[in-house]
Amino acid sequence: MDADCASLLPGVCAVLAASGRSLPDDTSLEKLLDWFTGLTEAGGSLLEACPCLLEFISTVVLNTAVDPGVLSFALRLTGLMAATEDGYEKLQERSVLDQVFQLQRWREAGLWEDPCLRIGWILGLRSMLQHPKALCFFVQSDFIDPLLQLQTDASLFVASAANQMLAHILLFFQPVPSLGCNGVDKKEEDDDDGTKRASAAYAAALAAISGYLKESLVPKKYTALRQSLQILKLLALLLAAAGPPLCDGLLQTAGDPLEDLVAAGCSQLTLPLMDVLLAACSSSGFNQRVPDQRVGRLLSSMLDVNEPADLLHAAAAFLRRGHHSDVVNTTRAVRILLLPLHIVTGQTLLGTNATADGRRSSAVEQLKCKTSCISMTCVTLTNAPRIALLPLGVLPCAPDLIVTAVLSLLRICSGVSSSSPPGCGEVCRNVIGSGKVQKCALEALTALDGSPGATEKTSEVFTVLMQYLENPDSDPTVLHKSYQAFVKWTGVCTDLSFVTDQLRLDLVELVRRRACDMRWEVRDSTVEFLGQLAGLRASAATTEGTASDALLGARCTTPLLKEALQDAESYVRASAVSALAKSLTHGWQQGAAPSEDEKEIVSRLLEILSQDTEGFPRRAVVQYFASWFSSSASPSSAPLLMRCARSVLSQGSADLDWEVKVHTLELAQLLLDEAFSGHRGYRKVSDAPHPRAAVSELTRAPRASPEGAESDLAAAVELGVVAALLSGLVDCDRPVGLRACRLLMALRDAVCPPGPPDATAAVATVSCELPGGGGWGEEIRKTLGVESGEGGARVSVCEALRSLGLDERLDVLTRSSDHVHNSPLSLLQDILTASAAHTRADTQPGEEVIVDCY
Amino acid sequence: MKLYCLSGHPTLPCNVLKFKSTTIMLDCGLDTTSVLNFLPLPLVHSPRLSKLPSWVSKDGTINLEKELKECAGRVFVDSQPEFCLPERELLDLSTVDVILVSNYHCMMALPYITEHTGFTGTVYATEPTLQIGRLLMEELVTFMERVPKAQSATCWKNKEIQRMLPGPLKDAVDVWTWKRSYSMQEVNSALSKVQLVGYSQKVELFGAVQVSPLSSGYSLGSSNWIIQSHHEKVSYVSGSSLLTTHPQPMDQSSLKNSDVLILTGLTQMPTANPDGMLGEFCSNLAMTIRAGGNVLVPCYSSGVIYDLLECLYQFIDNANLGTTPFYFISPVANSSLEFSQIFAEWLCHNKQSKVYLPEPPFPHAELIQTNKLKHYSSIHGDFSSEFRQPCVVFTGHPSLRFGDVVHFMELWGKSSLNTIIFTEPDFSYLDALAPYQPLAMKCVYCPIDTRLNFHQVSKLLKEVQPLHVVCPEQYTQPPQSQAHRSDLMLELHPPPMPYRRCSVLNLPFRRRYERVYILPELANSLVPSEIKPGVSLATVSAVLHSKDNKHTLQSVPKAPPAPPSKKRKRVPEEPPVLLGPKPLLSGAVPLEAFLATLQKVRRDLIVVFRIMSCNTFLCCKNKCEESVRRNKQFITCRAESAGRTRSWL
Repeated sequence: MDADCASLLPGVCAVLAASGRSLPDDTSLEKLLDWFTGLTEAGGSLLEACPCLLEFISTVVLNTAVDPGVLSFALRLTGLMAATEDGYEKLQERSVLDQVFQLQRWREAGLWEDPCLRIGWILGLRSMLQHPKALCFFVQSDFIDPLLQLQTDASLFVASAANQMLAHILLFFQPVPSLGCNGVDKKEEDDDDGTKRASAAYAAALAAISGYLKESLVPKKYTALRQSLQILKLLALLLAAAGPPLCDGLLQTAGDPLEDLVAAGCSQLTLPLMDVLLAACSSSGFNQRVPDQRVGRLLSSMLDVNEPADLLHAAAAFLRRGHHSDVVNTTRAVRILLLPLHIVTGQTLLGTNATADGRRSSAVEQLKCKTSCISMTCVTLTNAPRIALLPLGVLPCAPDLIVTAVLSLLRICSGVSSSSPPGCGEVCRNVIGSGKVQKCALEALTALDGSPGATEKTSEVFTVLMQYLENPDSDPTVLHKSYQAFVKWTGVCTDLSFVTDQLRLDLVELVRRRACDMRWEVRDSTVEFLGQLAGLRASAATTEGTASDALLGARCTTPLLKEALQDAESYVRASAVSALAKSLTHGWQQGAAPSEDEKEIVSRLLEILSQDTEGFPRRAVVQYFASWFSSSASPSSAPLLMRCARSVLSQGSADLDWEVKVHTLELAQLLLDEAFSGHRGYRKVSDAPHPRAAVSELTRAPRASPEGAESDLAAAVELGVVAALLSGLVDCDRPVGLRACRLLMALRDAVCPPGPPDATAAVATVSCELPGGGGWGEEIRKTLGVESGEGGARVSVCEALRSLGLDERLDVLTRSSDHVHNSPLSLLQDILTASAAHTRADTQPGEEVIVDCY
Repeated sequence: MKLYCLSGHPTLPCNVLKFKSTTIMLDCGLDTTSVLNFLPLPLVHSPRLSKLPSWVSKDGTINLEKELKECAGRVFVDSQPEFCLPERELLDLSTVDVILVSNYHCMMALPYITEHTGFTGTVYATEPTLQIGRLLMEELVTFMERVPKAQSATCWKNKEIQRMLPGPLKDAVDVWTWKRSYSMQEVNSALSKVQLVGYSQKVELFGAVQVSPLSSGYSLGSSNWIIQSHHEKVSYVSGSSLLTTHPQPMDQSSLKNSDVLILTGLTQMPTANPDGMLGEFCSNLAMTIRAGGNVLVPCYSSGVIYDLLECLYQFIDNANLGTTPFYFISPVANSSLEFSQIFAEWLCHNKQSKVYLPEPPFPHAELIQTNKLKHYSSIHGDFSSEFRQPCVVFTGHPSLRFGDVVHFMELWGKSSLNTIIFTEPDFSYLDALAPYQPLAMKCVYCPIDTRLNFHQVSKLLKEVQPLHVVCPEQYTQPPQSQAHRSDLMLELHPPPMPYRRCSVLNLPFRRRYERVYILPELANSLVPSEIKPGVSLATVSAVLHSKDNKHTLQSVPKAPPAPPSKKRKRVPEEPPVLLGPKPLLSGAVPLEAFLATLQKVRRDLIVVFRIMSCNTFLCCKNKCEESVRRNKQFITCRAESAGRTRSWL
């Protein structure tokens, strides 16, 4: 803690003790606590550093008239100070702890009613419980029972904190001789009195909590459900992290009540129960032990409850946790999850004898209700891709049948299915036209592209997706998802016989029409789709014979995208620019000379950059050139590209949108990388969080000016890279300044390494123009102390790089913009100022009233 | 109460309701799908059509060279097109008292009904319905008369010959009743019988029933009708829409508490959502124009075209179609565009408020001003000199058998750059295109039908809860092509009563109540005794007099004829819920119990009478229908005075 803060702290304590009401805002106390926590974690002792805090606590806890918020703060602060054994003992010496945490006092003062105080009490104790002595104190003070009561507190925050605290006690102090460092019996040879006491305390706590679990887990009546819910949460927390002895003990204790709960089959408890059982399973799995047979049995009975919706959720939870070694239960869960799909689509996912399944009739009943039908179908669909990837042994059908079922569901949803499964007309009716099911099914289909045997279904998938894309009633989101699925399946399609002429013609016709759609979202998705298909083409290892190429060649795509550059909606224009970049990438990689078409596109893009009123298309244009540059085999030998780079740099760095400027700097970086990557001193700037690391490494080995740097630097100046960087450096947007600063430092290290400047070196003669007229040139000139001329001034680049104080600037820029306001000092000052203002405000009104009376 | 169903077309209904003593015709739609069996009427001589081969039967025995032509495997009648009229034999049309018209599409058969049938009644319609209906009739007559055909083909209608014909001609029913178009004179005469009504205006028919139109939301001035007597209510729902396009929104709440609801005019395209179709329309249009082709939109000259133009108005700038000309060609194009702007009070709130700005409610005014939309009465004249391609043409008739559209089909059909976009749902587009095959131009089917779909109508019925629903049989089963779509039909409890052409339905509700007035002197003679504060009872003996559907209780003549024993006998025959008044008035029945009985009985037995002079009310256990028939019958009434509150029981 610095001296300034130390000197202000007593004043602040006084203010807080006097009255907490004058705080500048309600987060001040939290911020103070954060600061103290930080100090404690850094290894400092609060007691030694600021003795005034102890004073503060002693005064405040005696004064029950203080704001409960401040009292709560004092409780938490006490806990923080008692977190080390040292601190604990000191506080104990002055018997502060008893005073602070004694419940009776708070209850008598009527303050216990305030949830703020209750949570302060819990969190204070929680901070303190970091060593065995604290545990002994906790147990001896009989705090376990009140804590257990707080577990069902009316305030959700209090209840949750209490739960966390209970878990902390049992987990933190659990006796784990081999692993633990916190265990109460960690030093067996050093079996002194303290340890014995701590063991006894832990045993007492464990006994109390276990007793409570056993007693209260099964709800006595329906209203006590919340308590069961809380206990289940606690159990899940404990089982997920407990070592074997504790785990076994807990399961021993909670086994019977858990069985009762499972037998009761209460819907609201299904998921928390599953959590507990699965946590029990995985903890035993983690310890490589034979899973508790009882847990396995309970899991089986959970997967056998009567309520179809609960069953489905339980099965989904089981599958999500991935206990796939449990073949019996996995098979069962899969069958449960596939049942709704089996019923709705009539696909024999579960085999032909599934009709005999007793569950089927109750599931059909449930599916006849529209809301539960939709929710159950969606649960099934969400899990379908995971199921399809399971080993064949646990699947009731071939994985490709799942794809078929999803496709058939999609057909039913859109109303094009020619028939409905016998007896399920009423069920099918619930999903016809349901946007939610359509979206879920399309997502499932997208994720099913990698399932075994799926490629055989490609042609069927294309047919269904085309139906969706053709359907005039499809919602824009549904269309978007259909496009996504189409791209994904095209990506895995290796057999070109699936791409029939009819499909190709239909798709061409479709994208042409959708590119004229009234809804911009649809036009945007369409344009994006064209880009993604083209992207598949570019990323494929072989350029010939990819499915995406066969579906939509550039001949169809490019005119549509060119048209979309003129779209009325800026998002569509931006997407069109990005899609064009993707569709041309392949040509760039090949180093082909730009076609007439491409030249036309380029001039249109430059027009957008200079004239478009919206930021998105302009950002996309700059990115277009950046991706052209980065995918080009030898960018410097592409004259059109280099010409464009120059205008993009000059226009982009003068743009009003800061993101355009950042993207422009990305292009500048690419140009720098290209020009200087051969130089020894040059290090590519990455977006690593510690830019200083790269720089400091360099400074260790000063080198002479590298050869050839002069011409490269002159070229960079000529292209406008240096001007773009300099203008970015003084930009008022921090991300722009930061990036420019890093790039300039990289450039500096490459062309004029640290050491005494060599004025005669050729590189020092390269100069750049600083424009006049109050812009960034003016600012740079001021920093450099160059005389301001009429038009502008030329400065040596090396000179400028050395004298701009880049390192200091980087320091300032890397700090967040509110770093000044967030300092502890400013927080303390704020509290004091607010208090002073408050006091004045308190005294003045009286006088003013008198004045007013006259 | 009976319903005579004269049309089998669910959206072009023609039903006659006999209710109390009145005969009310509900709509008179004209089924024009019959024209699809005829060859198109070209405005300009068409070598292609004139060179079509005559149809000859396989064995060569039938050769109607003049009458039947063959095109792309289908046979067409080469004659002036004819329409399928509503049934005229089921009941004597001269007995129809009134015709209620719900919208301009459902009145196209009016001249066939009101002229040459002895009809002497009145037609009720709203003003826009009348005016736009007149335009559509005028247009139809012009289309026909402009291209007169000397011959009229009748030989093919011969049963023996028709049996031998191929395709749809063989299956056409009632071909002998098909009629050519009416004349302008008949139109004028028919429309002169129309009396204008406004929404919610109540029209008394012979003192027996009251009819009142309600906004139905489907087109300008479109209405549903309420037909009610004092105690019965029949709702007639025809062509209603919940979509917020240009017309006033649908009035749903007034349909509540109906005894019978006659439901017609649901959407013909239950699976095509109008919004989606409108989107398809725009994107296909833009795609064609961008590729340098022309777009042909066969449409009626009023209705959906306003919405299409409004949608395009917003779309053309977005889609960079700013310079493409839009042509609207119809003999009544000008009137239609102008009428739409002046019926402000019939428009939705949004459009009404524009009138006060003042701005034209529809944006097509601006399209016309900026020369983006041009309208012509025909392809002849100015149009030919200003015609510029690529362009978009809106013109009729949607059947593609007559009107200017025939010319554009001949002109543009050969190029695959051009597109025809069907937006009217009335005709199958494949049948419409049949005489133009082979056809290179692209065809897009975007039927826009804004009328209620099955989902909306089930919700509506759940809300208004009619006791019985009557509807065309087509609505009681899923469409034939989608037999598994049980969501595309009406499922009600009790199930709806289906009808088809020529059905006569006995509507399943018995009238239970009748309003009877009591003369002041008789009322004065009553001696009510208060049995509870504010509730008084009295017995009354009177003569029931009935004239002009109005029933009055008069004092018993001084010397009443000796009551025949037969009459007395009737009293114990009455349902015994309320026995004679005597024990009641003597206090034998506790008051509370009696009032409870009264409450219970009121719902099903007691007739409510209203006293003319002082709004005192009477409960009567008499079956009034009988008493109406037996005038001057003695009745015993139990009277209850509502005292100062003067409210109904």
